[in-house]
Amino acid sequence: MVTDVRLGVDVGGTFTDVVVADGDGITVLKVPSTPESPDEGVLDGVTAAVDAGVDPRTVGFFAHGTTVATNALLEREWAETALVTTEGFRDAVAIGRQTRPDLYDLHAQPPSPIVRRDRRFEVAERLGRRGEVIEPFDEDDARAVARTIRESDAESVAVAFVFAFENDAHERRMAEILREEGVDGDLSLSSEVLPEIREYERTLVTSINAALKPVLNRYLGRLEDGVADAGVPASVTVMQSNGGVASAAATRERPVDTLLSGPAAGVRGAAHVAGEGGYDDVLTMDMGGTSCDVSLVRDGDPVVTTEGQVGDYPVTVPMVDIHTIGAGGGSIAWVDGGGSLRVGPRSAGADPGPICYGHGGTDPTVTDAHLLLGRIDPGTFFQRSVDEAAVREAVRESVADPLGLDVKAAARGIVDVANANMERALRVVSVERGHDPRGFTLVAYGGAGPLHAAELAEKLGVPRVVVPKSAGVLSALGLLISDAVHEEGVSAVRPWAEVDPAELTTRFDRLEAETAERLEAEGFPSARQRIERAVDLRYRGQSFDLRVEVPEGSLGQRNLTAVADRFHDRHERRYGHATPEEPVELVTIRLRARGIVDPPALSTDHGGTVDPDPRTVRRATIGGTTDQTPVYDRSALGPEATLDGPAVIEGAESTAVVPSGANARVDDVGNVVIEP
Amino acid sequence: MSETGNGIDPVTLEVLRNACIAVAEEMNATLVRTGYSPNIKDRRDCSCALFDVVNGEKGAELISQAENIPVHLGAMPYSVTAAIEAFPPSSLSPGDAILLNDPFHGGAHLPDMTLVTPVFVDDELVAVAANRAHHADVGGAQAGSVAADSTDIYQEGLRVPPVKLYDGGNPVEDVFDLLLTNVRTPEERRGDFRAQRAANRTAVDRLRELVARRGLDTVRAATTEIKAYAERRIRAEIQKLSDGTVRFEDYLDDDGLGHEDLRIAVAVTVDGDRVVVDFEGTSDEVAGPINAPLAVTASATYHAVRCVTDPDVPPNAGTYRPVEIRAPAGSIVNAQPPSAVVGGNLEVSQRVVDALLGAFGLEAPERAVAAGQGTMNSVTFGGADREGEPFAFYETVGGGFGGRAGADGMDGVHVHMSNTRNTPAEVLETTYPLRIRRYEYRPESGGAGEFRGGLGLRRDIEVLTDDVVFSLLADRRRHRPYGVAGGDPGSAGADRLVRANGDETGIAGKATHDLNAGDVVSVRTPGGGGFGDPTDRDAAAVARDLRLGTLSAAVARAVYGHDVDSDG
Repeated sequence: MVTDVRLGVDVGGTFTDVVVADGDGITVLKVPSTPESPDEGVLDGVTAAVDAGVDPRTVGFFAHGTTVATNALLEREWAETALVTTEGFRDAVAIGRQTRPDLYDLHAQPPSPIVRRDRRFEVAERLGRRGEVIEPFDEDDARAVARTIRESDAESVAVAFVFAFENDAHERRMAEILREEGVDGDLSLSSEVLPEIREYERTLVTSINAALKPVLNRYLGRLEDGVADAGVPASVTVMQSNGGVASAAATRERPVDTLLSGPAAGVRGAAHVAGEGGYDDVLTMDMGGTSCDVSLVRDGDPVVTTEGQVGDYPVTVPMVDIHTIGAGGGSIAWVDGGGSLRVGPRSAGADPGPICYGHGGTDPTVTDAHLLLGRIDPGTFFQRSVDEAAVREAVRESVADPLGLDVKAAARGIVDVANANMERALRVVSVERGHDPRGFTLVAYGGAGPLHAAELAEKLGVPRVVVPKSAGVLSALGLLISDAVHEEGVSAVRPWAEVDPAELTTRFDRLEAETAERLEAEGFPSARQRIERAVDLRYRGQSFDLRVEVPEGSLGQRNLTAVADRFHDRHERRYGHATPEEPVELVTIRLRARGIVDPPALSTDHGGTVDPDPRTVRRATIGGTTDQTPVYDRSALGPEATLDGPAVIEGAESTAVVPSGANARVDDVGNVVIEP
Repeated sequence: MSETGNGIDPVTLEVLRNACIAVAEEMNATLVRTGYSPNIKDRRDCSCALFDVVNGEKGAELISQAENIPVHLGAMPYSVTAAIEAFPPSSLSPGDAILLNDPFHGGAHLPDMTLVTPVFVDDELVAVAANRAHHADVGGAQAGSVAADSTDIYQEGLRVPPVKLYDGGNPVEDVFDLLLTNVRTPEERRGDFRAQRAANRTAVDRLRELVARRGLDTVRAATTEIKAYAERRIRAEIQKLSDGTVRFEDYLDDDGLGHEDLRIAVAVTVDGDRVVVDFEGTSDEVAGPINAPLAVTASATYHAVRCVTDPDVPPNAGTYRPVEIRAPAGSIVNAQPPSAVVGGNLEVSQRVVDALLGAFGLEAPERAVAAGQGTMNSVTFGGADREGEPFAFYETVGGGFGGRAGADGMDGVHVHMSNTRNTPAEVLETTYPLRIRRYEYRPESGGAGEFRGGLGLRRDIEVLTDDVVFSLLADRRRHRPYGVAGGDPGSAGADRLVRANGDETGIAGKATHDLNAGDVVSVRTPGGGGFGDPTDRDAAAVARDLRLGTLSAAVARAVYGHDVDSDG
């Protein structure tokens, strides 16, 4: 049987989205999520696909976006975990960087340690900066620790020794001894999970990995069984935080790599639809009810950071660089004691939500402001009639009167202040990281994103906004088009001038052989593998490094010189200065291996007409003016349709605002493209 | 639309206030990323801010800041004012930058170098960008320039009055030569200076864009209104405090040269929407380096006021207007030249906060917090590395935060005026001939209480080469962090030196020692004070501390009246 059907299933808070891709295009389905046991929702999604006519036996690819690891970390529902570390470093993972979470809040609370102090054990051993043994590994000590762990209720064990990224012998020996002494739980070694310099971050990431392993093992085990029982022959793959997918087996070993699984899939999906329209440099903006996620995509690939944060914890594995701020449609507007208009961080969320939802909300929100400005339909909202007078009264009382404004100006101000917050977030991922937003396209999705995007684009000098056709399932779509990605990094701090090209080649070759084998096992033959080599370099004495690509194949001294030259160039470009005469230092050797996936064709059958008529006309405030404004039905806009602002485009998932002077058109994959 | 003042409506105010904070944060991102030394990149001992020039080019006022190190930020306006007094911006050109560190010209202590750059748009001065970074060596008698035994500022390092470091965008090579000739690690310093310049250039670029978008008049009016707004908010907050005068005293151990029990006396008077802080009765300045220039005292005072009001009030010049500081000239809170001052910024500032929070706690018991470790535990190693190159390593060590109503103090953190990060052992050992032997909590060091004080830290550092000079500048080795509401004081710090041959001795809080390969310094920092009567402590919390090994059975029984056997 031909297995050419691809299935993507993304679990969200309310809905589990299913995208089916076959030769004819894509089909989208939604089923309710089952937060208590998310795998049930996923399997419901598979059933829904079967009900819609998919023969499960034809499914050759199954990708999944999950928040199981994220929720377990944020809600502290991780497994009982033990940590074995170097003598003298028992508390280092709890001390962290010795900072407090807030400079001025005398009542701030520190993050809770992943591993309780009475489950953190020390073994006498010590390595030096090049991995040399300073103090031998104490076998007796190690056995005593192993026996204590065996008798405890720890389900999982992390092992993290100082400088283990230079020499993993002691960690491996510790793992052997744990097994010999009868510890049969999961093991995570820092030299495998994150072989990179900085003991706190490495130990923390290894501990998080250990604490999540039993959780993901159970979850993915149930899911794999269920998918197989449904008759699907494909093995389960899982979206990783770095924007690639990996097998369930690999994910069980490294659950710490899935902390941004869902959001990364969304960025992937957004990058893909923008790419279909011809835009490869993209800023993404996913604005929902309580928060707004922004990120940057360069040459079609989401920018990946190793300085990410999840909840209270720095998680220094490669993750799509997503910056989250507390600005959503439900963010509450208020006037502070100094007479300034503020929006958020408090949010009405989805329940009770904005006043206009009619679920009992009483605080004016960003969505309520849009309603009063005529940008969203004052007649109905979620099929309920809207009490516009109640919204108007709340804005008057909470915002307009205290500021001495009329209600419309207050509503306009609420949107402007929300925009200022989001503009700052977009600047963090672009300008602050050295990217000029004027060369980027802003892709806006989430229920509230398209209401704000065009105005934000004007402020940032972004030349166009793309509102994707199927914004509600971008994450599930992202699952279907993401390559399998494995990232490896090994720290080896030494002067670049002393690096032997032959030895470096050998180290890359070894990493490459390992990852090639993993990709092979995931169904990617060598013809569909792409390997990228890179090194992180810095000036000697500098503590920040920059990534520079390294050519494939056997390296010579000339290649190493060229790499150093590229480092100087990049330093100059990013920081405005470079000093080629100063010694350069190697920090980390990196390899990125991807298994290439052929993206499914997006449907070109969109319906609608080229020359649409507005569905209605209503008074709306867009920019500084209020006027009768045409309101278009998104589904009536066919490819090549164009219209001029000011206008409002209402879709099933969101409403887009087209400012005066801008025009909007529908591209041939069905996205609305707004250009000032 | 209505206006809040200065011709700025409330929406524009909030939008431009965000924009100004974004500029400072972006400066900070640049500084941390381009910094050379671990002290800037890893420990983030640096701060960035925007100012506007007022009062006929005689003063500079803070508009916005990136929040890193409290002690920098309250003090930076003094530096920027000193810079523009020496170089009125109208006499400057685009691309100029002024460097200074002189504590008697607006600086804090010599290692903190401040770089001030005027921002011009079409020949009009819009603002001044400034950043301050702690350099790991600025010359003087001891590597690291945090000597515990200096008796005047000349021994503490190179004193830099306001000088032009960049002229029209070009480095002033003579000044660079002078600076770099006088420090032990010139290449690292050059790199850090460049990073400081890159940070200010970021501000220039962003402010130009902002002016292009909003117009010069709007931006200028907004910066004025941003300050007025903060002033309105802080006055409303102060109004909520009860009127009257409260007094409090706390002590620094000594100046390292035999002058002990240095008193910080405060009288805090709340009068409607203003606060007067009077330091009358504070000890006279001392020979050792435990003297604070007024800028540092002001910084600590502003910090305390922010902590006891709403931290959401944005910090800028307006926030500080309702706060009047009276500090007797010649006392340790208003030191005069040529006092040694390096410990003013590091230690006196902490005790000023302790005294003020003590006073505010009397004024409003529900806001009271027990004293935290009250010191920064500055540790410096200087010598030659394995290749014979000179090195200077500086770091500070966290300790206990005070117990608060409803929560134990945080364990092992920097308190109040500091928030610098530690240096990872692996980074430190890769860069310097040093090795971390132990880094852990000090069990039972937090003062007992219903909510116990946070735990101090123990950090053992071994030196790997001979002829290394070690210096410790720390306090709360005798005068323990106070408890409140019946809580016990935290443990004093108690540092040790273990020689390669096994000989072990205690070391003083302010001490300098010559070390050789194999010698180990064990820095043991104070715990925070406790909050509330220990016998009111929740039995489950006592049991937890027992289980975690941060409390012994003997103390659980004696202090908390805890029946250990009942835990099974």
